[in-house]
Amino acid sequence: MPEPTGDGPWVVKAQVPVGGRGMAGGVRVVQGRAGLEEAANDICALTIKGFPVRELRIEEAVPEAQELYFGLVLDPATAEVVVMASAEGGVEIEAQAETAIHRRRTRPELTSLSEALSEVAGALPANAARAVTEAGAHLIAAWLDLDATLIELNPLFLRADGSWIAGDVRMDVDEGALPRQPGLTALLDDRADAYPEAIFKRDNGFDLVVVDPEGEIGLVTTGAGLSMQLIDEMTARGLKPYNFCDIRSGGMRGDPARLVENIRRVLEGPNLNCILVNIFAGITELGEFAGLLLKALDELGEVPVPLVVRLVGNGQDQADAILRSSGRNLILERDLDRAIALCAAPEVADA
Amino acid sequence: MLEHLIDPAAPQVPVMVQGATGRAARQHIKLMLRHGTNIVAGISPKAGGEVQDGVPIFATCADAVAATGARVTLPMVPPMSVLPAAREALEAGVRLIVTVTEGMPVRDAMHLHALIREHGAEWTGASSPGLAVPGRCKLGFLPDACLAPGPIALWSKSGTLSYETALRLKSRGLGQSAWIGVGGDAIKGTRFADLVPLFRDHAPTRAVVIVGEIGGTEEEDLAARLSQEPLGKPVYAILAGSAAPEGKTMGHAGAIVSGGKGTFESKAEALQSAGVHVFRAIPPLVDRVAQDLQKETA
Repeated sequence: MPEPTGDGPWVVKAQVPVGGRGMAGGVRVVQGRAGLEEAANDICALTIKGFPVRELRIEEAVPEAQELYFGLVLDPATAEVVVMASAEGGVEIEAQAETAIHRRRTRPELTSLSEALSEVAGALPANAARAVTEAGAHLIAAWLDLDATLIELNPLFLRADGSWIAGDVRMDVDEGALPRQPGLTALLDDRADAYPEAIFKRDNGFDLVVVDPEGEIGLVTTGAGLSMQLIDEMTARGLKPYNFCDIRSGGMRGDPARLVENIRRVLEGPNLNCILVNIFAGITELGEFAGLLLKALDELGEVPVPLVVRLVGNGQDQADAILRSSGRNLILERDLDRAIALCAAPEVADA
Repeated sequence: MLEHLIDPAAPQVPVMVQGATGRAARQHIKLMLRHGTNIVAGISPKAGGEVQDGVPIFATCADAVAATGARVTLPMVPPMSVLPAAREALEAGVRLIVTVTEGMPVRDAMHLHALIREHGAEWTGASSPGLAVPGRCKLGFLPDACLAPGPIALWSKSGTLSYETALRLKSRGLGQSAWIGVGGDAIKGTRFADLVPLFRDHAPTRAVVIVGEIGGTEEEDLAARLSQEPLGKPVYAILAGSAAPEGKTMGHAGAIVSGGKGTFESKAEALQSAGVHVFRAIPPLVDRVAQDLQKETA
C-alpha cells in the first residue's frame, strides 16, 4: 500500500460510481497509520449497490472545517439547470430543510449560470459565499466543457482562515455526448473496469447490463422498456434473470455480431440454465432475424443451455419455419407469458 | 399542433421527413404513407429535385415548406444532427417536431427545448417511438400490427413495452384513439403532464393507459397535474423497472434510479393517490381495462 501524505488523520474512501457510499461503510476516518491497512482491506471487500470496490482514495482529513454544498442538476420539467448552494452540506444534505438550500433555475449558458451562481452564493454568509463563488465558477466551466448532467460538490470544506477545499465531488456525464468529448472517451478507455456498461454500449452498439451475477436466465431482447418489464415479471415469479438487454434488432444490418456478443456474454453467468430470445418486431424483418440467430449459433458452436425463442411481428411465420427446419433444438413460443413459464422449466418443454 | 393532429374532425396535417433518403427513413416513409400520413416532402441536401416513392425531395426545409406548406417534421437523422435539423425546420416555420433518434446529447435537447419555446412551437421526443391516430396517420416507428382505431389513449415512454401492451389490448378489441410516444430521455419536449389538457375533451378517448418506467419525475408530475385537473376518464399505468438495480441505466437514458429517486414505489404511490390504477405486469392491466370498458358499455 502506498504511503499516504501528512500525519493523519486520513479518510479512506471507496471509489464506486454510485451515491450513498458513506451509509454503506465505504468511507472511514482513520487516526493512525496502523489502522489504514485494515480500513483499506475492509472497504475493498465491500460491494456497494452492486459495484465491487476496486479502488480506494486515501486523503488527509480536513479538520474543523465547515461543510458547504454546491450542486448543478438538470430540471427535466423546464429543460434548464438548477444551481444550488447551502451553508449546511455533508452526508445529511438530502434531509436538509428546503430553506437551507438556495436554488436558482436557469439556461445552460455561461452568462446565465454565472448570474445564478452569484445569486445563490449571495444568500450565504460572506466566507461561504466566497468559497461557493470560486468553486462554483470552476464547476460551471466543467459542466459546459464536459457535457455534464450532474455535478455535486459535497462537502465543500470551508476552513476557519477562509480557504476552501473540495471534499468530494460526484459528476455524471452524458454518454450521448461522448462522440464530441475525446477527453472523456480516453478516460473511459483508461478505466474500462469502472464503466463496463458504457464501454460495452460504445463498442457493441447496444445495451447489456448484468442485473444479477447469480442469475439463471439470460435475455436476448430488443427494447429497453420491454426488457425491464420482462425482468420485473420474471422476478415477481421467483425467476432469476441474469441481465437487462436492448439489442436494437432494427440496427443489426444483416450482421449476427450483436447476437454472438449477447449470447456469449450471458453464457458467462455461472448459474445460467436458459436463454430467452424475445423480439417484438416493429421494424425488424423476423425472417432475416431468424437467419441471423442461426448464423450466430453456428458461430458460437456449442450453446450449453436451451433457448426459448419468442418472435412476434413482421414475418413471424417465415421466421418460425426457418427456425423449425434448422434442426436446432429451439423452443418456439409466441405467447410471452408461456415463454416466461418455459424459462422456469425448459427441460420439461424440451422433452 | 398536437391537439390538431389528434382531432378527428381536423384536416390532415402536411408532414415532411428530414433525412428522407436514408435506409430506415425510406422504409418508414412507405409505412407511414400506407397508414394514411400526409407526407408532402422529404429533405435531403444531396437529392433535392428528385422524387422518392412518390414524395418530392427538397434540398432545404425552407424550400419544402414554401412549396408544400409542411407544418410538421420528422427528422430521421443521426443523434448529433438532430439539433441542427430541428433548428432549420423551426426557422422554416414548422410548428411540430417529432424526433425519433435515440442518443441525442442532453445539452442539445436543452437547446432545442429553448428554441421551441422561442418559436412557440411544439416538440415530441427525444427518442420518441412515434405518434399515431390509428387509421388516420402515424409519425415514427409504431408498428402497424399494434395499431387499430379504438377508445384508448396510449401515452408511452417506451416503444417496445407500449407495442406489447397495445397488441394485447388490441387482441381484446381495444384499439387506440391516439398514441403519443413521449420517449425515454430525461430532457424532452412533450411530457405526460402536458397531455392532460389535450385529452380531457378528446371525444374518441374513453380511457388513458400510461406506459411509464423508473427514472426522473415525469410520472410524479403527471400525478400532481391529474390531482389538480382530473381527466374525467379512467387512467391506468404500467410501470417498468421495479426490479432494476439502483445506479444502472436501463437502456433508456432517463431510466435510472439515482440517490433513491425515480423509484417504482415513488411513482406508483403518486399515481395511485391521483386515482390512477397502477400495474406491475401487462396481463392484469389488460384484464382490468377490458373489464372496466365493457362494463361501461353494458
